[in-house]
Amino acid sequence: MSGAGFNRVHGRAREYEVFARKARIEPLRLVGSVVAPDDDLAAAYARATYDEERWIEMAIVPREAMVTLWAPGEEGE
Amino acid sequence: MSLGTLILSLADNKQLLGLRYAEWAIRAPSLEADIAAAAMGLDDLGHSRVLYGCLEPLGERGHLGRESDPADYLNLPYLDQPWTSWDQFVAANAVLDTAFTVMIQACVEGNVGVLRSRLRKMLSEERYHFLHGRSWFRAGIGEQPLEEAWRQALEWFGPSDGEVAELHRQGALAMGPAELRAELEGRLGTQAPDLEIDWSAWDPRRRRSRPGQIDARTFDMLRGLEERRYHPSGAGGTSPG
Repeated sequence: MSGAGFNRVHGRAREYEVFARKARIEPLRLVGSVVAPDDDLAAAYARATYDEERWIEMAIVPREAMVTLWAPGEEGE
Repeated sequence: MSLGTLILSLADNKQLLGLRYAEWAIRAPSLEADIAAAAMGLDDLGHSRVLYGCLEPLGERGHLGRESDPADYLNLPYLDQPWTSWDQFVAANAVLDTAFTVMIQACVEGNVGVLRSRLRKMLSEERYHFLHGRSWFRAGIGEQPLEEAWRQALEWFGPSDGEVAELHRQGALAMGPAELRAELEGRLGTQAPDLEIDWSAWDPRRRRSRPGQIDARTFDMLRGLEERRYHPSGAGGTSPG
């Protein structure tokens, strides 16, 4: 489902991907997503939802900011 | 009033705020907001335990033996009853929770060792409460709960010549009432409404003007009586309905 399809309370809510890692030697990995109308609320939601593990770093990215090279069912070049 | 009584007030308010947040863990407007309400509730209940643990080193014993009168709790009127609207939640989250955080900052930057060392971690956790509250606050809420939250926050900071001002002069708190208010306004990016506060009706121990107390069910829960209803031995209680 695209971010534009969300309408959870706020009409302008969008989807954010949540990334985290437990050690410096690990890459950030996708741990989930949240839906929120702005970065502040998305940060609060991400922390509340995914903070049960001992992450040393957590970051959020608006789904729409990610550049898709190819999607499932499409072939990469 | 002493510094210990102020910390007891902070602890009681944090405990009740945590319980009121938790009551919205399945009633908030979205799943994310449900989870945030639960998480913030857990945070504040945890903070209250740390604050209660600071009372003995401060020589405060007012939290002991509070089994008969719910008015012994030093919470604000805003927390007396469960909230009936999301606007009440947001006003408490944005204004009252931030007011408590500003006071914690004043303690952390003050000259009392036990508060400087034990309360610091709360500030990092409270950052997410603030982001949550400010975002919902900016989305717009009703005037009445917002004004009530502001009034009670300013009453909780106390009068310009009260004990908080004296604790500021002594260095125990890094901010007095005027600085606390300015810090709260600065964080929320808005001015407090123009409010007349009648300090003659203000209770310096409970830091509130309005009489009242927490509801009976919450008081029973704090004393463990609600839990007994679910215990197999019953302890004379009734079965859950």
